[in-house]
Amino acid sequence: MIGRRVALVGGASTPFGVRPTTWTELAQEVGAALFRAMPELRAEDVDSLFVGAAEPERFAFQSHVAPLVAEQMGLQPRRILQRTELACASGQSAIRSAYAAIAAGLSDVAVAVGVEKMNLPDMAEANSAMGCVLDRAWDGPHGATAPPFFAMVAQRHMLEYGTTEEQLAAVSEKNHRFANSNPNAQFYAKTFARDKLLRLPVVAPPLRLGDCSSMTDGAAAVVLVAEDLARKYTATPGWVRGTGQYSDFHNLANAGSLTDWVGMKHAVREALRSAKIETADLDLAELHDCFTISEIIEYEALGLCGPGEGGRFAADGRGELGGDLAVNTRGGLLGCGHPLGATGISQALEVYQQFAGTVPPVRQVSSPEWALVHNLSGSANVHSVMVYQRGQGS
Amino acid sequence: MIPAAETGPAPVSSPPKKERGTPFLLDFVPLEGEKETRLKPFFDRLREGRLSTTKCPRDGRIDWPPRVTCPRCHTESLEWIDLPDQGRLYAFSAVLGGAPLGMESEVPFAVGLVDLDGAPLRLYGRIEGRPWNELAVGEPVRVETYDVGDGRFFYRFRTVR
Ligand SMILES: [Zn+2]
Repeated sequence: MIGRRVALVGGASTPFGVRPTTWTELAQEVGAALFRAMPELRAEDVDSLFVGAAEPERFAFQSHVAPLVAEQMGLQPRRILQRTELACASGQSAIRSAYAAIAAGLSDVAVAVGVEKMNLPDMAEANSAMGCVLDRAWDGPHGATAPPFFAMVAQRHMLEYGTTEEQLAAVSEKNHRFANSNPNAQFYAKTFARDKLLRLPVVAPPLRLGDCSSMTDGAAAVVLVAEDLARKYTATPGWVRGTGQYSDFHNLANAGSLTDWVGMKHAVREALRSAKIETADLDLAELHDCFTISEIIEYEALGLCGPGEGGRFAADGRGELGGDLAVNTRGGLLGCGHPLGATGISQALEVYQQFAGTVPPVRQVSSPEWALVHNLSGSANVHSVMVYQRGQGS
Repeated sequence: MIPAAETGPAPVSSPPKKERGTPFLLDFVPLEGEKETRLKPFFDRLREGRLSTTKCPRDGRIDWPPRVTCPRCHTESLEWIDLPDQGRLYAFSAVLGGAPLGMESEVPFAVGLVDLDGAPLRLYGRIEGRPWNELAVGEPVRVETYDVGDGRFFYRFRTVR
């Protein structure tokens, strides 16, 4: 990595779910939650704000959201203020932008916040918004949204490798179980046994309701600072050690293999290379489980198992706490819900809390040092990866 | 090289199904008129039952969706070429709920990726003809063009057997 070292020093989240509150109120909520969680953080410390928001124009009929969010959170950014939009990866984009700004010396203390309000009185409008993440003019008129696309991915993985519905359910059961330890998760209070998951309604064959992340309202924020300021805010900084990103297509016609996520392999390789570590060095990973099949293919693209072996990897519990790698201890998108812009921020917050040792014991990784966060966006046509290392000597 | 279809499939008319109140500028069907798009020839050909795309005369490669500039050599002098009207299902699923605006009344509907016969293209589209749970990967389908109900045309696929 080049430039100044950058540390993740804290954060906070609103509850995720179907919330009786507006987009703007969520921005207020997360501001209050952030300053409660970090009493040492003063509003005037924050020189820059990066707002991850995928579709406020569609979900809240609001553009120019960065200054709106600053006002709602009680911030007056004086160096860099901007929104980052990368659909499902908008939150990680905010973090990557904050990281870049601090590393370059353009910011010292930056907040990366994600806000999304997806549940609307008319859900057809929300579904249209999701369709606009894909190629609206060419794939959209056929009725292209995420579920049928990822369903075709699952169908091909089943056809090519013999992956089963039971293996998909293993991912869903694991992530929902982890979410039962996360009070901010959309499905905190709901349990999903594997046999129950296999009886839920089919949404887009072969995917059932439990294979799909939800439309979710929520906001989350994290604070990143320059190296010399880290200890002012925390004894357990998470140092940004690597980043990687790759995009190879947009229209579905140009997807190539549905089951070999080449773009993720590129992004992972670049992130691990810049961190000077290998997959085997990781202690936990937040992988983008927008659908169960996504996590299965991500096991493969991350190099945890060979091509086509992700389903068995899941069923054998190798992504559990105590397995090969603890994956999605937060509860994943499946268990927490997927408020697009807030998801990547919430994943980074899990990494910070794992490093700090403040998550419930049922999901606490033992003395984690290295963590990887992955987001895909759209039809898995973009992959964004960050690698964090727990601060030494604390 | 793409073998141009001898004769395109006949266009199929559908009963109007665009719901009143669907915002024109927010709906999913592209703008097709000469004041709205430089790709009007694509839509003119759809009206004649021909699915086509653009080809770069310099390297002979086709692109999807059709373009106004070549992404490789950046020429704006692209040629139109008819695409094959037959293909095979590479993958499929169905929308059983959660449909976008204006498509709620069409649920359930099947969608799929189709490998066009003799062209290096795998197109996404609606699969008509049989219910989703009777479709099979690898089965033949043909290209069909249709009136979306408000005077605009688009394309979809229909099962053959
Ligand atoms: Zn060219």
